[in-house]
Amino acid sequence: MRKVAYYKGCLASLSAKELDVATRALAPKVGLELEELESVTCCGAGDIHEAEPDYYLHLNARILAYAEATGTDTLMTVCNVCTLNLRQANHALKGDEALLARVNDNLVSVGAPAYSGSVDVLHFLWLVAAGEGYELLKRAAHRGLQGLKIAPFYGCQILRPSKLLGFDDPDRPESLERIIEACGGEAIDYPAKVKCCGFPIIQAREDVALAELVQPIEQAKEAGADAMVTPCPLCHLSLDAWQSKLRKQTGKDFQMPVLHLSQLIGVAAGLSESELKFKRHVVSVEPVVEKLAV
Amino acid sequence: MKVALKIWRYDGATGEKALREYEIEAPEEATLLDCLDIIKDRHDGTLAYRKSCRMMICGSCGMRMDGAAVLACKTRMAEIAASGHVPVISAMGNLPVLKDLVVDMTPFWQKIRAVKPWLDTGYVEPPEKEFVVPQAEMDVIHKESLCIMCGCCVSECNSMEADPDFLGPAALAKGFRFVGDPRDRATVERLQAYSDEHGIWDCTRCYFCNERCPKGVDPRDAIAKLGAEAMREGIDSDMGARHAKWFVTSAKTTGWLRETELVPKTQGVVRSLKEIGFAMSLLRRGKVPPPFPPHVAKDVDEARQLYELVEREGHEGARGIVQLEKPLARLERHEAGYEEAAARGPYGPGSFPKPYLPGENESTEEGAA
Ligand code: SF4
Ligand code: SF4
Ligand code: FES
Repeated sequence: MRKVAYYKGCLASLSAKELDVATRALAPKVGLELEELESVTCCGAGDIHEAEPDYYLHLNARILAYAEATGTDTLMTVCNVCTLNLRQANHALKGDEALLARVNDNLVSVGAPAYSGSVDVLHFLWLVAAGEGYELLKRAAHRGLQGLKIAPFYGCQILRPSKLLGFDDPDRPESLERIIEACGGEAIDYPAKVKCCGFPIIQAREDVALAELVQPIEQAKEAGADAMVTPCPLCHLSLDAWQSKLRKQTGKDFQMPVLHLSQLIGVAAGLSESELKFKRHVVSVEPVVEKLAV
Repeated sequence: MKVALKIWRYDGATGEKALREYEIEAPEEATLLDCLDIIKDRHDGTLAYRKSCRMMICGSCGMRMDGAAVLACKTRMAEIAASGHVPVISAMGNLPVLKDLVVDMTPFWQKIRAVKPWLDTGYVEPPEKEFVVPQAEMDVIHKESLCIMCGCCVSECNSMEADPDFLGPAALAKGFRFVGDPRDRATVERLQAYSDEHGIWDCTRCYFCNERCPKGVDPRDAIAKLGAEAMREGIDSDMGARHAKWFVTSAKTTGWLRETELVPKTQGVVRSLKEIGFAMSLLRRGKVPPPFPPHVAKDVDEARQLYELVEREGHEGARGIVQLEKPLARLERHEAGYEEAAARGPYGPGSFPKPYLPGENESTEEGAA
């Protein structure tokens, strides 16, 4: 078992609870022992980075410090935006002693632990797409996806900027494809899998966001996908919950089920419905479940 | 070496399109631009593309290689040729194609002009004495000043694809180059103008611009700096700004995003009421977490106090982002193998000149404040 500090972020604590439940249920099967961080806050998404950048840095430093205090060297995320925010802050703090010292003074003065820079921030996807995690995943996914056609959707902030993320080739990523195939599914290829789902501006600029969102869903549908899978709960929310708005806008009813990464692996690993919580999805996952039951 | 390329040919007059394959003999050190020159000189004189400096400074030779915008003169072909891969070369995206690899840059320049890319000093007659600007203040706009206006960032901008009127990464980065300039007197007017419907808050944070920019401008970060400066100046009535503010409020009150209140806080109560049907469809699935009792993070007092401390320290606005640039650039240099190359000496294989980082050699500047 590899012990990791688990930072679930806002969405998995709130509207995407199913992601948290599935991740916890799956973790031991892929060799991960999760130590959940409790005294942490929101990473600020792109929003605090933009509104109050110095506060963004402090909030993320505080998360890193609490992760370090658990004695592990890995902070595991389950969200693209958390991943970029935390990695960016981590690199900046590690690369600048004066900055780290100032931030640490502030952390200590409010009663938080100081951060020494020993933690690496890794997305759950990266922990199971390579190395030992991947070997365990192959074994765990015994039930398989029976050739189900799955469209991988990466989202932006797990690929770009690649100098801060760097696990996949930002234009030709393959980690999700590897996982889909290891689970016995067939990975669908389509151009928009590396593009934006529109989520960051879905409330402030809905039309622009929907024009982005329609691309991956439409292309996945045309390529014959049974379902989409994403490593990001924000992408999940727009792909799943905003699909009904696309129906109004484009007249097309895609009915495309969208799975969180932990759920996709979870299905192949035989997790139960109470651990997968498909009922919390807006677009029904029933067709997928039925295909697998046959 | 043998280099094979597939090039999307396009005739603007007839609308005809064709993917042509070329195989040429090129010297080991050839760039994509050198290869296009060889094709044009010796194989097919009708091929159209732009070029001028051949050294990554004029910004003429932006084009796509396998769908990703690059500067042709910056892209060496040896590795690709050796791998046997035949790359597809095409015109940049988000701009109308005129012929082959040549795009119409008119919309690009219109947006650059729209941000008023000149210094507004606030005077007509020059004053008697010159202004002396400390280096540290110019460092704030160091990255944005590197832009060569090639359009590679615009080519894959996801928001511009969805909203062709979006000012976009190059123009907004140029805008910050003036907003951040201590000599400019039009900061507030600029921030107001850049905050309109197709400005700062139209950016979807896809980070394609940072990924593509061949000069390290990182336009997405420039847009975040504009956002930070706009909010600092109280220019925050756009829904995008209100959205961002609600995250700050959430973090310092409950620690976690107060998700359910985000919609009314962003869109206003009246508009969000129109969305009630949509909200109900989410509510049924547990996608609208009840705001009461609030989901409060343990030890959230620390986050509240941090907020007050940070406010007092005054590293706010764009400077909060600028302070991350130096350590992040160091990281890049490290990953590019600069340290090892430097240890090998200036002329060995893989060596390259030290990239300029502002203030690197001034030992005092960090502690100066
Ligand atoms: S920001 Fe970079 S990619 Fe965009 S126009 Fe300037 S140099 Fe080119
Ligand atoms: S981050 Fe913003 S400006 Fe940059 S490419 Fe994406 S949408 Fe365009
Ligand atoms: S020819 Fe000038 S930038 Fe490439």
